Amino acid sequence: MRYLPSSPVEDRALLDAIGVMDAETLLSGIPEPLRLRRELELPTQSSEQEVAGQMLAMANRNTRFCAQFLGAGAYDHFVPSAIDALISRQEWFTAYTPYQPEISQGTLQHLFEYQTLICDLTGLEVTNASLYDGGTSCVEAALMAVRVAKKRHTVLVSRGLHPLYREVLQTNFAPHAELNLVEVDLKEGITDLADLQAKLSGDVAAVLVGYPNFLGAVEDLAALAGPIHAAGALLVSVTQEAFAFGWLEAPGKLGADMACGEAMSLGNKPTFGGPFLGFLAGKDAHKRELPGRVVGQAKDLQDRTGYVLTLTAREQHIRRDKATSNICSNQGLVTLRANIFMQLAGPEGLKGLAEQNAAKAQYLRQRLLELPDMEVVVDQPFFNEFVLRYRGDYAALEAACLKESLLPGLDLGRYYPEYQGCILWCATELHTRSMIESLVELLARVPTTV
Amino acid sequence: MFLRQREPLIFERSVPGKRGMDLPRLDVPEAQDTRPVHLRRGGFEALPELSEVDVIRHFTRLSKWNYGVDDGIYPLGSCTMKHNPRLNERVAGLPGFTDTHPMAPDALVQGNLELVYTLQEWLKEITGLPGVTLQPSAGAAGELTGVMLIRAYHLSRGAKRRVILIPDSGHGTNPATAAMAGYEVVELPSQPDGTISFKDVTDPTSGKVRKGLLSLVTELGPEIAGAMITNPNTVGVFEYRFKEISDLLHSIGALVYMDGANMNALIGVARPGDFGVDVMHLNLHKTFSTPHGGGGPGAGPVCCAEQLRPFLPVPVVVRETPSVGAGEVPVSTYRWDWDRPESIGKVHTFYGNFGILVRALTYCLSHGSDGLKAATLRAIVNANYIRVRLQGAYDLHIDSPSLHEVVFSDTRQAKREVHTLDIAKRLIDHGYHPPTIYFPLIVPGAMMIEPTESEDKFELDAFCDTMLTIAREAEEIPAALHHAPILAPLRRLDETTAARKPVLRWQKPAILPA
Repeated sequence: MRYLPSSPVEDRALLDAIGVMDAETLLSGIPEPLRLRRELELPTQSSEQEVAGQMLAMANRNTRFCAQFLGAGAYDHFVPSAIDALISRQEWFTAYTPYQPEISQGTLQHLFEYQTLICDLTGLEVTNASLYDGGTSCVEAALMAVRVAKKRHTVLVSRGLHPLYREVLQTNFAPHAELNLVEVDLKEGITDLADLQAKLSGDVAAVLVGYPNFLGAVEDLAALAGPIHAAGALLVSVTQEAFAFGWLEAPGKLGADMACGEAMSLGNKPTFGGPFLGFLAGKDAHKRELPGRVVGQAKDLQDRTGYVLTLTAREQHIRRDKATSNICSNQGLVTLRANIFMQLAGPEGLKGLAEQNAAKAQYLRQRLLELPDMEVVVDQPFFNEFVLRYRGDYAALEAACLKESLLPGLDLGRYYPEYQGCILWCATELHTRSMIESLVELLARVPTTV
Repeated sequence: MFLRQREPLIFERSVPGKRGMDLPRLDVPEAQDTRPVHLRRGGFEALPELSEVDVIRHFTRLSKWNYGVDDGIYPLGSCTMKHNPRLNERVAGLPGFTDTHPMAPDALVQGNLELVYTLQEWLKEITGLPGVTLQPSAGAAGELTGVMLIRAYHLSRGAKRRVILIPDSGHGTNPATAAMAGYEVVELPSQPDGTISFKDVTDPTSGKVRKGLLSLVTELGPEIAGAMITNPNTVGVFEYRFKEISDLLHSIGALVYMDGANMNALIGVARPGDFGVDVMHLNLHKTFSTPHGGGGPGAGPVCCAEQLRPFLPVPVVVRETPSVGAGEVPVSTYRWDWDRPESIGKVHTFYGNFGILVRALTYCLSHGSDGLKAATLRAIVNANYIRVRLQGAYDLHIDSPSLHEVVFSDTRQAKREVHTLDIAKRLIDHGYHPPTIYFPLIVPGAMMIEPTESEDKFELDAFCDTMLTIAREAEEIPAALHHAPILAPLRRLDETTAARKPVLRWQKPAILPA
């Protein structure tokens, strides 16, 4: 076994020093009836060459596409080469959580910079060193809002929030009989203000709104903030596509008290949904209610500036069952990818990329609308995703696309019965004009009748 | 290892007009601005302007202030800092995996589904438990999923139980998880050998009596939903009465959760399914060599007994193998099954940290059943070797047989006013990452050392020699150790002030009036 340092001579020397005949003797602490007295029924060890071949064969059993027009919470963007090169350094990818600051300043300073940039993107004052993904970030945001609001037990969730985020919220709220999750309807593709106002009460701790929402529509956070704050509740902006921060005003500047969501777009590939990057930012006044790891500035004995994990009195290893969350390991290396990405992009890169995304999505929409079977269903400002009604049969469209190695947009009816027959399309900077044209030409040939 | 010069915060390096990214030519008309004016992105306050060279040098220099597994032994107890094979990284980067979209139709991601299915089969055989979900993103997420399965099980039987028992030696995540799943935590005391006490325990100093397992089971009976037990426990000792504990809990209708953080001591030699465990999590970033990444991403799969399978998170992968004629080889297909009416729901937006699952399966295939068992035995030999070499210089607070890790106490050094923190910081001066310190809480001044199977005799001896040197220093120059580290890029940091007046981000310095 190539990863084990065993050799008969050395193994003997170790066992002699310990004073046992064989390694099995050291298992005497495990009662005999609990010992496994057979070999595991699994294949035996393999060479690197064999395993590499086996795994490549598995990867090749996935279908490759020329272009994916599917976003819906997992976006395909270009990843600069510097990212993989840098994260491949063992000092980054093999290190542990930075518990010993004097020997972990690399990770800690990186996280301090990462926190700064997440605050910049969201227009808020504090954030943590990451959460698992968009769905679980909503859970942590909702629970944090309940702690901040005190004695309020209801969290309102716009129906425009990613449907899978809403499912993760449901799962995590189920054990808490004292808490309620209530959905707010959509009207014309955005949160219905009248329904929101009807559901706001003195018991509402927070309102979670997609920005942009799952249908791609840009919600006017500023317009929602008024009634939400008047009811004494917190506005939580949920962004599933972090590139939107280069196009849309920061939620914190529009009245959002917290911003959470998914930042996988910053330097990651879709990778079948993970590892992704959950984030959660909020106001300075609420920092002691943040979940998870937080990095702060500190001085050493010689008054030099360094960084440490801080506000740890919130955390599980100190507070145990009174902790703000059970999270400890989070998405460390993914935050590094995001930090490198943001530093390479800079303000002009981020805005420029966002403008390209908007341009590609607008072009795709305009071209699709030239087809007789496509029509507008949600007419709201959008970023890089939008919904169109399709009069034809989605299955036929999908089959035709797949035959040409194109992955079409999402069949929205799977998640929103009221949008049966509608498709959620996405375009990013990776979609060339010719890819868009191939799609449109192909769709023009798909039979429209069911 | 360490870079001596300071690397400033990147924001101080920003120069207006620099670019680290060139955008592709726009081959479609420019975007029309449909945004209401107030929703248009304003300026950024911190995003720096840098060239690619600046960024690469910044992160290269910063990396030199970190210690990694390739620098040498990383003896953090309970963290299982083993070698991270490079093949795993290469395989996880295959575009066939990284380009796949989580909402693509099942027929187009057969490789991914096969991978999920295959890894689940390995974990089932390793744990002896028939149900698996790979969705939880970390150990703590696995714990939460597992406890929610327990809750769903009791609810399905019409029972509302409010208490989870957790030993005082348990990881902090256990009680935090139980609270997040809506349970009240009742602590189980340890006995002097570090294992769970059946009898009541009287604290020798305060005289306070803490109820043991038997009293708690008698008193709380039908209120107990289950217990969360780490095995081997955080002292590195096998809970030798585990089967009795699970039989007792099962007799009152409660379930047993096993925290599998220390599974590196058991693979191939014992299976939790054989000790009455109903549900457990594994840490793929510990036992299965996926890199720690400076704090994730990890993965915390949950394995469970038959009666908990209906409650597993959706979706569940299913293999379908058609029946074929004699001599023909059937081709299996895989699909996600979303139709699970009793499921607790989703615990991750998609299917968990898939890229980590790729690495873990690569680890399994490389080791095979024989390699996995050999790794377990070697990890145990290594911990015992350290124990034998250091027990003359450091006190073993608990003298039970060690498995994969060994916990020392600073009681001997404390007499000279040298404490665990000083020893840990001095290790940094000698070029090592310190062990886990002050955990478990039941050992005074704990130093929890887990070498893993990756270390050979040369590395073990070098580390032990250093620990012995520090023990001598503690005798001879105790006051000097309070200053450690002196050779790291920074001296000890003032964490108290950092928490009292937190600075959590960089802010542009205000321009002072002239």
